[in-house]
Amino acid sequence: MAIAKKEQRVVAIVWVIGIIVVWELAAFLLKYVVHDPMAATKLPYPHAVAMTFLENWKMLLEAGAVTFSRAALGFALGTSVGILLAVFMSLSKTMERIAFPYLIVSQMIPVLGLAPIIFNIVRDMNVSRVVIAAYITFFPVSVNMLSGLKSVEQDKKDLLFSIAANKFKVYQKLMFPFAMSYLFTGLKIAAPMAVTASILVDMLGSKSGIGVKILYALYSNSSNIFWASVLTSAFMGIISFYIVVFAERLCLPWQNTTPGKEGVRA
Amino acid sequence: MNAAEIQIKNVSMVYPVNNGEDILALTDVNFDIQEGEFISLLGPSGCGKTTLLRIIADLLQPTSGSVSIRGQSPRDIRMQQKYGIVFQSPVLYDWRTVRRNICMPMEIMGIPKKERTTRITRMLELVGLQDFGYKYPFELSGGMQQRVGIARALALNPEFLLMDEPFSALDEFTREKLNEDLLSIWSKTKKTVIFVTHNIPESVFLSDRVVVLSPHPGRISAIVDINLPRPRENSIRETSEFYEYVTKIRRSFEGV
Ligand SMILES: Nc1ncnc2c1ncn2[C@@H]1O[C@H](COP(=O)(O)OP(=O)(O)O)[C@@H](O)[C@H]1O
Ligand SMILES: [Mg+2]
Repeated sequence: MAIAKKEQRVVAIVWVIGIIVVWELAAFLLKYVVHDPMAATKLPYPHAVAMTFLENWKMLLEAGAVTFSRAALGFALGTSVGILLAVFMSLSKTMERIAFPYLIVSQMIPVLGLAPIIFNIVRDMNVSRVVIAAYITFFPVSVNMLSGLKSVEQDKKDLLFSIAANKFKVYQKLMFPFAMSYLFTGLKIAAPMAVTASILVDMLGSKSGIGVKILYALYSNSSNIFWASVLTSAFMGIISFYIVVFAERLCLPWQNTTPGKEGVRA
Repeated sequence: MNAAEIQIKNVSMVYPVNNGEDILALTDVNFDIQEGEFISLLGPSGCGKTTLLRIIADLLQPTSGSVSIRGQSPRDIRMQQKYGIVFQSPVLYDWRTVRRNICMPMEIMGIPKKERTTRITRMLELVGLQDFGYKYPFELSGGMQQRVGIARALALNPEFLLMDEPFSALDEFTREKLNEDLLSIWSKTKKTVIFVTHNIPESVFLSDRVVVLSPHPGRISAIVDINLPRPRENSIRETSEFYEYVTKIRRSFEGV
């Protein structure tokens, strides 16, 4: 176990170093071999980007925090709605048959189109960000949670039935704990999506947030800032994923060694 | 003699199957069980033992016929939380430790916390898992998991203990030890036990009566009274009377 972990870490380090080296080389080739006059814009040196990062870390962090916190809020909201929907659908087949088609349709509306509509309605950037992040989140959460609730083995239900447990107890003692690992599969899919959604809404004319930095940098041709912002965004997505992974480890200690369940992708 | 505690009358069970060839799992099963009796349902796999047990436990409704327990329906008895069931598979909750698995039904029945803790400790000792109370099910072997399922049912001290091949996943040594332990628990409480098994010596060792079932379709082929003295210890397995009962039951299968 410990050896496997150590090996994993080595692999990760080699990968990161490899990417930096290839990037550095590619930037060099673009500039001095291909003689591209726009080389610094298309692909700046990673060390230059890193310097920009260090010089502007405060600004990037602040912008990132604005975007990330709205994403987190929307994520929490979307998760609650998703779980609630899943519970309702698991309670009755009719409920599921009525609600599920709407769930599917909701995912056919492109967020790019939806975001301006939401903004037009609420007229508030922060609320829009939260709503869109929630909108993106609820579907994978709901679908995975429902799949978990429906996967509970009959034997496990019979045990509670045989001692006349009521519906509330069945959900409390069996359905919810059982569905937890499915829920987390949904959360892992949803978390980076919520961040992406929040960044997207930034770009629709917000005054703060990491998406704004990306947009401004693009217009003002400051490619180092642009790349530093893009990397910050990517980092935020990765962080959001690992926060969920960490929460899962804490919440589900019994399944550290069992293989993960197949998720249902949005 | 008093009226029997459990009366099983003309019970038949047909499982509808999609291709139209319905499975006749039980046909016209009739027998009574006395209060405090230890009954075994014995037969090869597929003869309807689990089906019959589930009908008695109200987990399954018979296609025809009826079960009456103290003049009430199995549903009434279930709603009064008088059943303790050991399933054919362990049926443990993966997210709960061994102790908390045993605890779960007691939580639902509202047994006070202190009482729960004492019972759990006693039951763990009984099934030889005192060192595994804080392990999760995935850390246990199949036989150990099954013993947790047994401890969970025994901890309820139920009026009706229904056990579906509880020891079939265990090795011979553990099985014989647990057979003896089960009898000693039962002799203290004298609750009614319905014990499903496909092991002839086990059914003879444990039971007051053995109900022999035969398959296709599932029906009773014999009911054998076991008049061995109690309390019984494992040494009784070496007596000629024991051997005669085993032979008699084995013959009743060959006659099928
Ligand atoms: N849910 C079910 N659907 C269809 N057939 C079933 C079902 N459960 C059991 N059977 C069939 O009924 C018969 C009796 O099964 P069961 O009661 O499990 O026997 P046993 O416990 O003695 O092995 C078998 O032929 C089995 O295939
Ligand atoms: Mg069976």
